[in-house]
Amino acid sequence: MLIDRIFNGNDAVYGLTVQAVDGAIAQHGADKAVGFPHTAYCLPCYYAVTGVKVKTLGEMKEALGVVKTLMTREQQLDDALMSGVATALCAEFIEALKYLDGAEPYSEPCYGHLADSIIREMGVPLVTGDIPGVAVILGSAPTAKEGVDLIKSYQAQGILVTLVGGIIDQAQELGLKMGYNVRIVPLGKEVTSVIHVVSVALRAALIFGNVTPGDAASLLTYTKDRVPAFVNAFKPVDDVILAAGAGAIKLGFPVITNEDENVEEVPGALIGCANVADFNKVSLEARNIKIKITKIDIPVAFASAFEGEIIRRKDMQVEFDGSRVDCAELVQTREMSEVEDHKITVVGPEVDEMEFGSKNSIAYVVEVAGKKMQPDFEPVIERKFHNYINCIEGVYHTGQRDMQRIRIGIEAFNAGFRIKHIGEVLYSQVKNEFDAVVDKCQVTIYTDPAECTRIRHEVAIPVFDKRDERLDSLTDESVDVYYSCILCQAFSPSHVCVVTPERLGLCGAVSWLDAKATNQLDPAGPCQVITKERPIDENLGSYEDVDEAVQKFSQGALEHVTLYSIMQDPMTSCGCFECICGIEPFSNGVVIANREYAGMTPLGMTFPEMASMTGGGVQTPGFMGHGKHFISSKKFMKAEGGIERIVWMPKELKETVAERLNKTAKELYGIDNFTDMVGDESIATDPEALVEFLTEKGHPALSMDPMM
Amino acid sequence: MPFNQKPQKFNAKINDVTIGSGDKTVTFGGDCTFPFYSFDAESENSPKIGVEISDMGLEGVSEGIKAYYEGATTMGEIAQKAAAMEGADFVALILEGGDPNGVNKSIDELIEVVKEVAAAVDCPLVVEGCKNVEKDAELLPKVAEALQGRNALILSEKEENYKAIGAAAGLAYNQIVGAESAVDINLAKQLNVVTTQLGVDAKKIVMNIGSAAAGYGYEYVVSTMDRIKGAALGQNDNMLQMPIITPVSAETWNVKEATASEKDMPEWGPQDERGIDMEVETAAADLAAGSDAVILRHPESVKTISKLIKALA
Repeated sequence: MLIDRIFNGNDAVYGLTVQAVDGAIAQHGADKAVGFPHTAYCLPCYYAVTGVKVKTLGEMKEALGVVKTLMTREQQLDDALMSGVATALCAEFIEALKYLDGAEPYSEPCYGHLADSIIREMGVPLVTGDIPGVAVILGSAPTAKEGVDLIKSYQAQGILVTLVGGIIDQAQELGLKMGYNVRIVPLGKEVTSVIHVVSVALRAALIFGNVTPGDAASLLTYTKDRVPAFVNAFKPVDDVILAAGAGAIKLGFPVITNEDENVEEVPGALIGCANVADFNKVSLEARNIKIKITKIDIPVAFASAFEGEIIRRKDMQVEFDGSRVDCAELVQTREMSEVEDHKITVVGPEVDEMEFGSKNSIAYVVEVAGKKMQPDFEPVIERKFHNYINCIEGVYHTGQRDMQRIRIGIEAFNAGFRIKHIGEVLYSQVKNEFDAVVDKCQVTIYTDPAECTRIRHEVAIPVFDKRDERLDSLTDESVDVYYSCILCQAFSPSHVCVVTPERLGLCGAVSWLDAKATNQLDPAGPCQVITKERPIDENLGSYEDVDEAVQKFSQGALEHVTLYSIMQDPMTSCGCFECICGIEPFSNGVVIANREYAGMTPLGMTFPEMASMTGGGVQTPGFMGHGKHFISSKKFMKAEGGIERIVWMPKELKETVAERLNKTAKELYGIDNFTDMVGDESIATDPEALVEFLTEKGHPALSMDPMM
Repeated sequence: MPFNQKPQKFNAKINDVTIGSGDKTVTFGGDCTFPFYSFDAESENSPKIGVEISDMGLEGVSEGIKAYYEGATTMGEIAQKAAAMEGADFVALILEGGDPNGVNKSIDELIEVVKEVAAAVDCPLVVEGCKNVEKDAELLPKVAEALQGRNALILSEKEENYKAIGAAAGLAYNQIVGAESAVDINLAKQLNVVTTQLGVDAKKIVMNIGSAAAGYGYEYVVSTMDRIKGAALGQNDNMLQMPIITPVSAETWNVKEATASEKDMPEWGPQDERGIDMEVETAAADLAAGSDAVILRHPESVKTISKLIKALA
């Protein structure tokens, strides 16, 4: 049915073209020059598709024969789409005939053919995303107002709008200002003039895509992947328009129409949409166009300059405090259909309705959807909320999860800042910074105390618990890949971190999930995938893949790295390590010192002295830099026996890691309260006294195999 | 034991990138050895020298430079004298007057200067932006448009504006793209990767990996260039095989050794000589570390570095 209609439309246009070309030859002769002005590409569409330059009417006649070969009549969608391409080429011939003898067939406001220079000029903003898309609006809208509203909605998004047919009269009727400078380009009133925008797309492929003319496959790939165009066709959609639409679809441009008779939808390509007011949304989603947000709509400034600003109690209008009342901040992944982009809802009282100086509840749930979104990114996005809200002038934020605290200053309130603006900030920042994974985002802010209690206890806490479980259950064995991190190479050129679920980056700031998110958000960035398909020694944690990766990313400075050994090819350090672990020969164990610890260790070295042996990307067996979190990992120097080897830590560090470390010791060796056996500076800072203490406590390291 | 020379052979080479059009062209890169290691393999192509002129004319330049350009009043005449300088391979026009925090000349005004210079000389051209990323994102595409057909090197795109400048220079107007990063091998590589992902041919990119005047944190420049050449040749990393151009004068003429007057610092000697010394020392070190081209201002510096290249290459 649909296919037959396309074939019919194609046949009709082909017939007309043959007639027109024959007529022109009869009148002017076959040697008559033909072409468009201000282009080096003759008939650009035909040249791009076939690689042949048509310069005379006689050559055009031959070209029609080539076009005929595209018009196969199998009842297959692809035959129909190729017939669409044939239709487009015919349209180009018909349009070219209008330009015979240097004629100027188009007059204000219509542009007709667009010069090469416009394409070169337009190509740059298309590449940078300043022009996020190209809309082709075809036919007459149900009412002039609906048509103009649609045009304006695209214009407001920076999208280039081209107009064909009755919509041009409608726009003129309502006095819409048109022209290339305002990104509204009326092409022409006959349907064949649509070829002038196709010509733009194809020349863009030749100029910007280095596509070889005649390489139709690369051409179609380029327009599909790189030219963010789409078609809005108003009813009635006749066979000819349908055939032209098939050509657009072949180029990768979806067609959105309000036609509901005799048209079947083709998912992702020919899309029905009854309401013209929804064309914008449906079109952008179908073409996967993301609009850059350049300005956040709030009454106060937003800049990193305000990040460190503190709002004192006396300067405060209201506050929200998760340590006293129920609060929460949460990112949730949803299906595309469940999220309405830029919807911001406040449930409960606004700041105006809160008592001056009062302590209130707040819970905000940011729901995101995207083809590449993964629940693992939720906490990564959430951790940025602190930074986003802090960058608002006159608003401050501390804490996270259900323990955040927010103050809105009097001045910000007087400037008109309200709860909903927090939503605006979260929305625009999430969309801007996470545009690689977030396609749609909506924000709901609860200030109603009962709702906040519900969100905190019934929604947020279960999610946090689940995430913690996921983090705990993530093991090096349970994942398929590790990640490299070379963020610090600027000052430590030969260092490469290998980040695994159980061994976070030595700075403590890059977990495996962070590295994964960094890789997705910035594919050419500092975190790259390292496969783990070719293990050499599972106990040492050595892999051929890992060795190859460190060789590559250290530019050959490192050849072998093990993940779990401090003695054999230990992982290198940049200099950002939270802690350093060093071998302590008397007790047959290891000593850990953290950066904050200023005193002496039983190694006879302070932290800075240990750091000088460990940093700079060198491998010093017996020394290793690492994050605090790694101390309680089951993979902590597993090759040498694991955490049982830890004989000394500064008191403060010991207290920080005690709970998790004791849990690991219990699980691995059945030891209760392991940290009680570990020395600290209040017990001993010289090796003899330490060994005495360890002997008294029966520390397991004393009876283990020697490390050296 | 007799000395037994073992040439260090690499199965990789630095891309050769030609700028300029007609019979006046100059080629950067092309070697397969470390800088001046002519004992490992014959050098394909010795390093090149550009002479920098500014849209600000001769305002604020040193006495010696002023003396060289004496009689030149228009930008066209200045450009002609620059092109005629002994040892010069190309002319580099820096549009420093465009800086919004400085004179803030309009883009139209600057494009007029570009056109005047382009009309006055037929030698290969390099155009440097004003260093402000937002302004350059608008200015340099216009420069690329104005220089169609000249096959000029546009310096430079940075991480923040690579799309606008890379697309205009590398795709729309067929110029050579300068990719500037801040003295970090990974950032240099990443910029090359994303630029080629735009569709720019890797063989049409020249890197400016960042610079410093000798003595001003310069060790970073040496180690970064060294590592880039090592990766490009030793590991055949084709995203680091772009030749390197280093604008030297823009750094060296702004440090105190070059700007302090003789009156203030009598014990330092004549000001002009100090400026030349800084320029020569820095340029020599850049070339030894891996630059395939340097941009200088003073005729004495150009002469000296030209002599150095002839002696070593």
